[in-house]
Amino acid sequence: MALITDIRRASFHDGEGIRTTVFFKGCPLRCEWCHNPECISFEPQILSYPERCIGCGMCDKGCYAGAKVRCGREMSPEEIVSEILLDKPYYGKDGGVTFSGGEPMAWKEELSRLVDMCRDEGIGCAVETSLIYYDEEIFRKLDMVMADLKIWDSQTHKRYTGVGNERIIENFKRLDKLGVPIVVRTPVIPEIEQGIDHISEFVKGLENVKKYELLPYHPLGQTKRTALGLEADKFTVPQKNYMEELKKYVFIR
Amino acid sequence: MYSYADRLAAMRETKIKHTLQKRKQNGYTDLDDFGTVPISEGYRVEPWYNSENGSFYGLDGMSENFVRVIDAHVPYVDKNEMLCGRWRDMLVNYRGDLHYMPDWLKDNLKNLEFIKNGATNQWSKRWDEQRFPYDHLKPLQLKYNITTGIDADAHFATDYSIGFELGFGGFLEKIEKYRHINPDKKDFYDAEEKCVKAIIRFVDRHIEHIDALIADESDERVRENLIVMRDTCKAVRYDAPKTFRQVCQWTAFFNCAARIFTRDGAGFQLDGLLYPYYLRDVESGILDDETAKFLIANLLLIDPHYYQLSGVDENDKDMTNHLSYLVLEAADSINIACNLTVRVHKNCDKEFVKKAVYYLLKNKNGWPRFCNDKTLAEGYMRNGVDKKTARERIAVGCNWMCVPGKEFPMNDTVKINVAKVFEEALKDLRAESDKSTERLFEIYESHLTRAIEVTAEGINLHIDHIADVTPELIMNLMMHNTIERGEDISRCAELYTVGVDGAGLAVVADSFGALEARIEKEGLLSWDEMYEALDNDFSDARIHAIMKSAPKYCQGNTVADAWARRLTDSWAKHVKAQKMPEGRQLVPGWFSWSRTIEYGSKVGATPNGRRAGEPISHGANPNAGFRSDGAVTAQSTGIAAVQCGFGNTAPLQLEFDPQVALDDDGVERVMNIILTHFGLGGTLININVLDGEKLMEANKDPNLHPDLVVRVTGFTAYFASLSPKFRQLVVDRFINGI
Repeated sequence: MALITDIRRASFHDGEGIRTTVFFKGCPLRCEWCHNPECISFEPQILSYPERCIGCGMCDKGCYAGAKVRCGREMSPEEIVSEILLDKPYYGKDGGVTFSGGEPMAWKEELSRLVDMCRDEGIGCAVETSLIYYDEEIFRKLDMVMADLKIWDSQTHKRYTGVGNERIIENFKRLDKLGVPIVVRTPVIPEIEQGIDHISEFVKGLENVKKYELLPYHPLGQTKRTALGLEADKFTVPQKNYMEELKKYVFIR
Repeated sequence: MYSYADRLAAMRETKIKHTLQKRKQNGYTDLDDFGTVPISEGYRVEPWYNSENGSFYGLDGMSENFVRVIDAHVPYVDKNEMLCGRWRDMLVNYRGDLHYMPDWLKDNLKNLEFIKNGATNQWSKRWDEQRFPYDHLKPLQLKYNITTGIDADAHFATDYSIGFELGFGGFLEKIEKYRHINPDKKDFYDAEEKCVKAIIRFVDRHIEHIDALIADESDERVRENLIVMRDTCKAVRYDAPKTFRQVCQWTAFFNCAARIFTRDGAGFQLDGLLYPYYLRDVESGILDDETAKFLIANLLLIDPHYYQLSGVDENDKDMTNHLSYLVLEAADSINIACNLTVRVHKNCDKEFVKKAVYYLLKNKNGWPRFCNDKTLAEGYMRNGVDKKTARERIAVGCNWMCVPGKEFPMNDTVKINVAKVFEEALKDLRAESDKSTERLFEIYESHLTRAIEVTAEGINLHIDHIADVTPELIMNLMMHNTIERGEDISRCAELYTVGVDGAGLAVVADSFGALEARIEKEGLLSWDEMYEALDNDFSDARIHAIMKSAPKYCQGNTVADAWARRLTDSWAKHVKAQKMPEGRQLVPGWFSWSRTIEYGSKVGATPNGRRAGEPISHGANPNAGFRSDGAVTAQSTGIAAVQCGFGNTAPLQLEFDPQVALDDDGVERVMNIILTHFGLGGTLININVLDGEKLMEANKDPNLHPDLVVRVTGFTAYFASLSPKFRQLVVDRFINGI
């Protein structure tokens, strides 16, 4: 059984074609800007939206008003696949399922089984990962790996994510040797010296990186942070001209 | 400058100016733009009333008033255009019909007084209730909130090939020929002849007006354009059109006349019927592609009829041609409210579909839309129609198809609000001791059967008498058998496959689903508690939350999805089972048109958490909030599963901003949704690809974007012409992804 926070259909932004995205719960990193803060803990949590509370006083019998939303549902691979199959007719040759999170690679056994089941159904599979974990068997079965390289300097990386990036960079190199197409992404956080020029240079040297993209920080995680009782993060959306300036580092090949 | 591009830009500017002017003259219309231009200075019509109830009916009433209205129309010529002619006013406006009456006419005191002093107090005097009363039907029509179709105009399609072959003079000669064969039909032929002669006078006034403009014109290029325009009008005033330009001009004049008559009429397979003219003119060197595109753009500007493109013929052979592409390019060049429908079939040129999707994403103006050749034709054949005829059936209305020249379908004019039928069933169940959704469904079906029966009675009344009320004098000219027999089309159509649409599917499916899930399966509340909640309009917030959060139709494999399919089977079965006289048959579909607010106002609180008076669901679409991700695919799959299967539609009506790039990948993704929906059995996609930011700005101040076009339901409209209530409806649907 895996702990799943959400399954979103008809996603146009988590890989090619039309996709279903499965969000696993739990991540070993602690990125301060994380826009999916409900996917960090490996335990089920309650998201609280007091503004929706109708004051019925029957919280123990279940909240139907959406004021207390349980986040994290134990699902068997079969249950997850039955949701994925709902959109099978739309996937075509490019689309499919994207396993995201959280860190899907933290759910190695479940993920491996899910990938097998999807492949048996002819559904293309991709993973969105921090590359903190490496599992050659899983990676070899995927059609694409979308991986983040967030900050070039390891100390800075550690300061903002809780871990250094040596292992991540090493895993990039190992992954590159497998021949699986890779898309590398960097979230752009104006307040942090990320070394995007170095990151771009590094990923250019990897043979199987098909695309390097920059994703501007967005504050959509703030509502969920509040709902989890966390303080708001301190980051801001990058200005358009800053993103323009950084355009020279992105590439597709 | 007088290049095609400059002229098109100027024509578009004029259109925007007219849209704002019309809003001042007409007030908010909440309707299709119809291609009208503002009413001219000093315009006035003295209608002739031949009924003591303050309206006019029949051959003499309709022909005389058609003549009065078209004769009052001053010519419309824009020097930038190649074609001329527009309409401004229609007969319906003088029949006490407040629904359509524009503000400028309401300001006409004399007319208003006349209406006020009318002999009956019915809301519309389009139907002659004194001669053809239906008081015996009204209690049940009211009970089930039925839109009866009684008094509805036209809603069928003409066969333009008849007009292209004959021309206006040919119409007169045909009338003359058959007048002698059917001497007892003198009144019919007199009325038809009177109308055709008035149309020829309308053309002649344009010729005179252009002559005057030529005399005053100093710019040689403009003068030259006007001379060709005048000569084209001269060529088609009596004779059949021979060139591509003439056939476009002839269509413009005919459409103006049909619109003036009852604002109706319908388009045709644009790339099919015009193709021979295109080929001939190109071959003889008198037409190039740029000119052909300009002419098509001009025609689309003159009247945003529903035109169809591409598709396959009776042998499943692709009909896409070079002109199909030119039409798309022409529509792109003018980019106004275009009601183009692209027929999709697996044998069709995929590149063409791709190009159509490209323009949908590029312009974000609600065109084109897409229909499924396979499902529609196969479904229609299940009514006992052959494949050739089924393939001739084209998309010419918001949700509807019609066999040009042969069918009298009353499509989109007859609806039953199934949410109201459900409400009646729920009331009956209350008195029973053993309550269940199964028992509720039984009662629902018995009410539904009764609602369909009374609807059928109304339809038969309409078909039996509409010829005496509103004979279709203009459209009759291009129908089969009409002139030949001296009969109105309502009396001699080859096909009476009459469409009956159900409205409110999602409300009923979600209500059944909520009752089954929350009361029967989970035991969260009792039937009595539920009834009490409906009585007090969900004053208990917890019960409201419980019912509102129940599984919904289009979520995917939910109890409500199962109910939606069951309700569809039941709807189709009962509509088809209704006995009809004289070869008539009913054809089921799901569609609400833009009546969601009106229908909702008639229905109390429903078990899906919908409060009393709130709008019902839109067509076959799910209710707002059906999924948190609003997944287009979920909606597409859900709607494909509730098709009625007899050739009428349950459209997928999408409002979304896919935020995909205008590259191959973005186009492919949207195309994939369209093709997959059709692969799953869907019939029609009315699609609004919108720019969210622009929509929100226009909602605050419509004058900021007077060019913004939205597909309100099947039809497109300028956002600026919609009332605040309707604008909000479009915005809400966009926000909710439905």
